[in-house]
Amino acid sequence: MENLTISDPPPQHGIPPQGPPQQGGGGPMPQMPPPMGRPQQLPAQYFTTAAQLLDLTDKKLMLSLRDGRKMIGILRTWDSYANLVLQSTVERIFVPPGPTNPRGLYADIPVGIFLVRGENVVLLGEIDLDKDDEDPPGYDQADPELVKSLAKQRKADDQKKEKNKVKKLADLGFLGENMGELLL
Amino acid sequence: MTDQGDEGANVSEPLDLVRLLLDEFVFVKLRGDRELKGRLCAYDSHCNLILGEVEETIYVVDEDEEDEEPRIESKKSEMLFVRGDSVVLISPHNE
Amino acid sequence: MLFFSFFKTLIDHEVTVELKNDIQIRGTLKSVDQYLNIKLENISVVQEIKYPHLSAVKNVFIRGSVVRYVHLPAAAVDVPLLEDATRREAANEARKRNEK
Repeated sequence: MENLTISDPPPQHGIPPQGPPQQGGGGPMPQMPPPMGRPQQLPAQYFTTAAQLLDLTDKKLMLSLRDGRKMIGILRTWDSYANLVLQSTVERIFVPPGPTNPRGLYADIPVGIFLVRGENVVLLGEIDLDKDDEDPPGYDQADPELVKSLAKQRKADDQKKEKNKVKKLADLGFLGENMGELLL
Repeated sequence: MTDQGDEGANVSEPLDLVRLLLDEFVFVKLRGDRELKGRLCAYDSHCNLILGEVEETIYVVDEDEEDEEPRIESKKSEMLFVRGDSVVLISPHNE
Repeated sequence: MLFFSFFKTLIDHEVTVELKNDIQIRGTLKSVDQYLNIKLENISVVQEIKYPHLSAVKNVFIRGSVVRYVHLPAAAVDVPLLEDATRREAANEARKRNEK
């Protein structure tokens, strides 16, 4: 994939449908034009998942997962399903300011090479290397073990609140959006 | 009821009803404790929508308050795309 | 394909994407694909302090399936044209159904 350029033909399938597939009624997709020598303005394959991910390859990214975890690593390769491989990955755990800590805390836990199945991706952020050396505003780096235990405790509290909320809103006829899944 | 392909007033499928609501004010109920009122500008077969002059109502449960009723929050937006997988129902809105 | 085409007309406009986890990200729409995955550049996050993981991020790729809303600039949307396109798409869908 590394050698793919924006003028290469797009992969045949793109990533599989997510949620309701965006492809209407199973009709055929409009045919992409054949690869052009030098695409001038916005060729059709500019608007594919592959083109979107190509720009991010070999860059340091922040990956937000559906279960709420944040991973930071270098995107090395991906496929048409948007499965990703990150290298030199760390999981960054945040504990927002609260009763246990007046300022926010974070810690990085190395996890090495990390492969993610596409459907678990919420967003991929390209990190501005100029800002990367600073701590996030309001947050300090702390001991990983401390951060881990605070985060665990915080998560248990949040789940209790979430349960209470879902129960109250169910009385009004509402349906939880993530069905108890914490997305943050 | 002969030609459902053309733009008639006949409703043979659920989304035909939505077609009749184009350019009208609609009420939309969403997952995630939200409701919208706005003018329907576009929709597709996944119930993706575009609404204009939107008023959003959110039902918020405040933390730590065991017995309180959910609080109601209201937001406005001039033009809004709504992803279809959040949509629970669409109905005509009568002032 | 209606909304894919529609979002292509909004490239280079400022939009605010609201995700299903309540994060609101404002930025310039740079790219969209058939699943309505979205790429924004030069982002700013509403309530930034709540989302420290985005503090050093400038450009994002957002998976279409996690989007709740996209707040659009009304001035950039031609409503009559959009309504026509919607009717045409609905008629196409109906024709497809009849052919089956």
